[in-house]
Amino acid sequence: MANLQFKALRKSFGDMEILHGVDLEIQDGEFIVFVGPSGCGKSTLLRCIAGLEEITSGELLIGGVPMNDIPPSKRGIAMVFQSYALYPHMTVAENMAFGLKLAGHSKVEVADAVQKAAQILQIEALLDRRPKALSGGQRQRVAIGRAIVRKPGVFLFDEPLSNLDAGLRVQMRVELARLHADLRTTMVYVTHDQVEAMTLANRIVVLNQGRIEQVGAPLELYNAPINRFVAGFMGSPKMNFLPCTLVAAAPTGATVRLEDGTLVAVAVDATGQAVGAALILGIRPEHLEASRTGGEGRARTAVRVAEHLGDTVFLYVDSPGGAGQLTVKAQPEDPLHMGDEAHLCFPAQRCYLFGADDRTLPRIA
Amino acid sequence: MAIVIDKSQRWRVVAAHVFMIGLCALVIFPLLIVVAISLRPGNFATGSLIPETISLEHWRFALGIPTPGPDGQMITPDLPVLRWLWNSVKVATASATVALFLSTTAAYAFARMRFVGKKSALLGLTLMQMFPTILALIAIHAIFSRIGHAFPLLGIDSHWALVLAYSGGIALHVWTIKGFYETIPVEIEEAAIVDGATPWQAFWRVLLPMSLPILVVVFLLAFIGAIIEYPQASVLLRTQPNLTLAVGSKQFLYAQKYLWGDFAAAAILSGLPISAVFILAQRWMISGLTSGANKG
Ligand SMILES: Nc1ncnc2c1ncn2[C@@H]1O[C@H](COP(=O)(O)OP(=O)(O)OP(=O)(O)O)[C@@H](O)[C@H]1O
Ligand SMILES: [Mg+2]
Repeated sequence: MANLQFKALRKSFGDMEILHGVDLEIQDGEFIVFVGPSGCGKSTLLRCIAGLEEITSGELLIGGVPMNDIPPSKRGIAMVFQSYALYPHMTVAENMAFGLKLAGHSKVEVADAVQKAAQILQIEALLDRRPKALSGGQRQRVAIGRAIVRKPGVFLFDEPLSNLDAGLRVQMRVELARLHADLRTTMVYVTHDQVEAMTLANRIVVLNQGRIEQVGAPLELYNAPINRFVAGFMGSPKMNFLPCTLVAAAPTGATVRLEDGTLVAVAVDATGQAVGAALILGIRPEHLEASRTGGEGRARTAVRVAEHLGDTVFLYVDSPGGAGQLTVKAQPEDPLHMGDEAHLCFPAQRCYLFGADDRTLPRIA
Repeated sequence: MAIVIDKSQRWRVVAAHVFMIGLCALVIFPLLIVVAISLRPGNFATGSLIPETISLEHWRFALGIPTPGPDGQMITPDLPVLRWLWNSVKVATASATVALFLSTTAAYAFARMRFVGKKSALLGLTLMQMFPTILALIAIHAIFSRIGHAFPLLGIDSHWALVLAYSGGIALHVWTIKGFYETIPVEIEEAAIVDGATPWQAFWRVLLPMSLPILVVVFLLAFIGAIIEYPQASVLLRTQPNLTLAVGSKQFLYAQKYLWGDFAAAAILSGLPISAVFILAQRWMISGLTSGANKG
């Protein structure tokens, strides 16, 4: 059991700085998820926690103890690698027992711990096999098993589910959630899967190019992203962005003009911006509405592609007056079809406005 | 492979077989000649491949079995061939073991650790070993005669000196093993380190077992190299009972008289330990030791 503290943590490879000062506190027992685009430094941050990379400057504390100069084996952590990294020449049981044996536990203790972990992960039948003879999902469980036998203070997971098929992924996700509920150990989990982040996390940390963009509970990030990056990153399919100009701003709401001239009312306090300023209007696909009939505040456009998924329909429509494309998540009853004319409606309460610096303007609840 | 083959391509398969059989014959033929020479009475290098009369005189000589001479007296062979063979095996085993130990650890440093001058050290090591050993013979002799003054065990005419000299030639082995290490994902060792292993334990208990096939290959190469090595052994070893088989066999070839028959028997003997080690080693040369470590 341990909490984690990062104080202005920086990491450079040579003269290339990858992490530009990370400040963060992770509570004991918390399930924290790092998300961010590929190459933003998620694995690097995790490896800094594990002690596999030296920290260039700043401080890392685990359980209140500075860890900068402590070797990995003494940090009380266990890590599940992005590639699993099982020991191919050992059986499943030996894989899981390796750490305990090194720590000098007796044979009986080791066998006991391995048996218990195998039970939790339902891999008792596989204990005598080599990793070569396991499926991807089974290997993944062995990798987790190897971590839990050691009863670490902190678990580190690096995209453990990224190579599993969709079905297995859901199953393992549920098992991980159950594992956390059982063990109540601090878990730091890296992923770029939206759903994993939203469902598993107590709090999500959004990283971008080696900086923390925002930290918060999943719904907090979804409902109140502090900038355009977080807004675009959280949620799938991603939020639609349209260029617009501010026409009127009042404490009760603002009006913007889209590129095709449509006036849209939004529940945003844009009084800090000058009338005529170029802003970005953001709206999630699940909130954008497309109908056959036009009207006040509706933008006319055409459906390029319609994807029918059974329970929903994704419509890809031209951005009104612009070059881009917007996504609409529509109901499957009486859907629009490819080539149909569509009139887009922007519910005022669902719209976001982003200023020139990409920060979210305050919304009116 | 059971790919369906076009009929018009069959002749290519036939041609390939003919070519390969020819190649095999080319390799095997000299060996057969040596066997024939060792079984033929007298010491003639030329003659038919299948001897008309078979004589074991050369083999008796090589194995040190007394033979009746022309005057009816039993003559004990004057050259200790079996002893030379034993010397060769001893030196080759010891030097291959030392070379293996040095090259696995050196290769680990070159493959996994970061230190100043890594590239130039590796390059320098290799460049220096590219010079033929002949060039260094004088130096080797001088060095070991000096060492011999301080430590007689490592001086001229000692097997340990030869082992030491052979163990220096590891640059190529280092390259080979380093190349193999680099195909093994670092994460497996990192996992061991997170699991609480020291770097040495990660090397010894995780990396080395996965590298078994390449270690066996390197051991074999070093062993063969030591068995057949001539120049250094000829400079470092002096007295007859101490010679290795490669050096000793030269004594069959006097300026006046070439004992081709005895030489052939000794040559075949020197091939035996190599074959034996090779057959033993084969069971460790298994592929796929690292599969299963990653997602699949
Ligand atoms: N050993 C290294 N030497 C130099 N640069 C490195 C090293 N390791 C990582 N980097 C760089 O650091 C950056 C962050 O890498 P990192 O592996 O942390 O990304 P990530 O967020 O885990 O990406 P992904 O989602 O693809 O796994 C990348 O630009 C990468 O090129
Ligand atoms: Mg990564």
